[in-house]
Amino acid sequence: MSEEINTNVAHPARVYDYWLGGKDNFPADRALAELMIQAIPNMRAMAAANRAFLSRAVRYLAADAGVRQFLDVGTGIPTSPNVHEVAQAVAPGARVVYVDNDPIVLAHARALLTSQDAGETAFIMADLRQPKSILDHPALTQTLDLRQPVGLLLVAVLMYFRDGDTPNPFEMVATLLEPLAPGSYLAITHPTPDFNAEETARAVAAAEQAGVTLVPRPRAEVERFFSGLDLVEPGVTPVLSWRPDEPPADPSVAYYWAGVARKP
Amino acid sequence: MTESRAQGGGGGPTVQRMLVGAKLRRLRTDIGLTREEAAEAIRASEWKIHRLENGQVGFKQRDIVDLLRRYRVTDPAEIDELLAMAREANNPGWWQRYTDVLPQWFRAYVDLESAATLIRTYEGQFVPGLLQTDDYMRAVIRGAHLDDSAEEVGRRVRLRMARQTLLTQEHPPRLWAVVDEAALRRPVGGREVMRGQVERLLEAAKLPNVTLQVLGFDSGAHPGMVGSFSVLRFPDQELPDVVYLEHLTSASYLNKPDEVDQYLHVMESICVRAAPPERTAELLDKILDQL
Repeated sequence: MSEEINTNVAHPARVYDYWLGGKDNFPADRALAELMIQAIPNMRAMAAANRAFLSRAVRYLAADAGVRQFLDVGTGIPTSPNVHEVAQAVAPGARVVYVDNDPIVLAHARALLTSQDAGETAFIMADLRQPKSILDHPALTQTLDLRQPVGLLLVAVLMYFRDGDTPNPFEMVATLLEPLAPGSYLAITHPTPDFNAEETARAVAAAEQAGVTLVPRPRAEVERFFSGLDLVEPGVTPVLSWRPDEPPADPSVAYYWAGVARKP
Repeated sequence: MTESRAQGGGGGPTVQRMLVGAKLRRLRTDIGLTREEAAEAIRASEWKIHRLENGQVGFKQRDIVDLLRRYRVTDPAEIDELLAMAREANNPGWWQRYTDVLPQWFRAYVDLESAATLIRTYEGQFVPGLLQTDDYMRAVIRGAHLDDSAEEVGRRVRLRMARQTLLTQEHPPRLWAVVDEAALRRPVGGREVMRGQVERLLEAAKLPNVTLQVLGFDSGAHPGMVGSFSVLRFPDQELPDVVYLEHLTSASYLNKPDEVDQYLHVMESICVRAAPPERTAELLDKILDQL
């Protein structure tokens, strides 16, 4: 229960909160966030583009694909609209399990991401490095019925793991998908050097300098996360181009790939 | 956390001043002027600009006009808007009719509270004011103001009740409160009053915009032991969080980033240590049984 918190080192969730205009961040977070803005001037808009994708993907899964259960790993500091708000606007009974490894994020999620009426939300403090600990957690098994489809959301989180990690990020995703019912979905966004290698390299250097792992991946690697799944239209696209509400003026200004795929 | 609560309405002069001040600061820094350079435009000191930008003093219309000219703001609509906001900042708040029982130092708090989108509070001794019952309030107010007449006590209670309508109005703020177990076990006003108060907390915790956490004795020493405090957050991105500390005869409002950061850190630490909100009902039931 009494996890110690450390605000002296930058934490990705709070760095993201700063880019999104939130106030739940500390000097170390703001310092890294600003360095990364120096590297990638469009950084704030990129963070916003990720949140917007999350909303569009959840809306698509709830409204078009009929998904009623969601597993959101790497929740981050709550930012409206949150996953359960989007899902429950479509399907009031939708259930969402939020997972994060940061005690501050978890405290905020528990305090602020509560469901109304029919729906349900639950919270798990766990690390993507131990995917089994997520799947076996009582809060998950009590909230989600794994015989029914689940929307697995891995938005802007896989870049915090290296290929050489054990398990590696591809194994993490595979382990999480393994027990999910046919008709489940996987939604991913992932930063990439493909649109601007130079700016991206500078951002990586700033992050690593602050002790934050950051691994942008080229398109083929991002597609690898969807191995064995059927990508839904329009496939893996720039984050701004995935089923946009308005066609983006220039999709290449946000250096993220995005995709949603169905488990057959 | 980012919040989507609509702007406008509440707030009163304190918040309006902070808003005008924040806009003036942004306009000045946008064109790279120092406070000293800005001060020349209104024949004042750097300190005056500092206080204007922090919303600590009222505005003269002429000063605003001169500053905007210096900041190269030429759009008449923008100028009019800021002048209107500055005028509003000089209007009295809704609490004006309670000024006899509302000490000067508390007025700004009532303003801030009614403009906040998120009120985070840690209370070590009391049930938070926004969640108190009428009887509990009377017991606390009598305890604190021994020589008040019944009439004065009544007015103080009505003022607090007026503050409480915040939580049930349209577009209410979110209240995220952590209450120390000590505050829940001390039978303020006697057993019956306290039981009524704990029952009220059980009800309040069901409100969609109220989050209540109990910080149990089993947490041992914790950073909140230095005292109760609140952190208020406002919808405007340019307004910093304000930390509110209440003393016997005055209050402090902190909004410098390094001070706010430290209190926010303590607040996060308290929220992480306290029992999660989903356990609140169970813990309150247990305390109720033992009262």
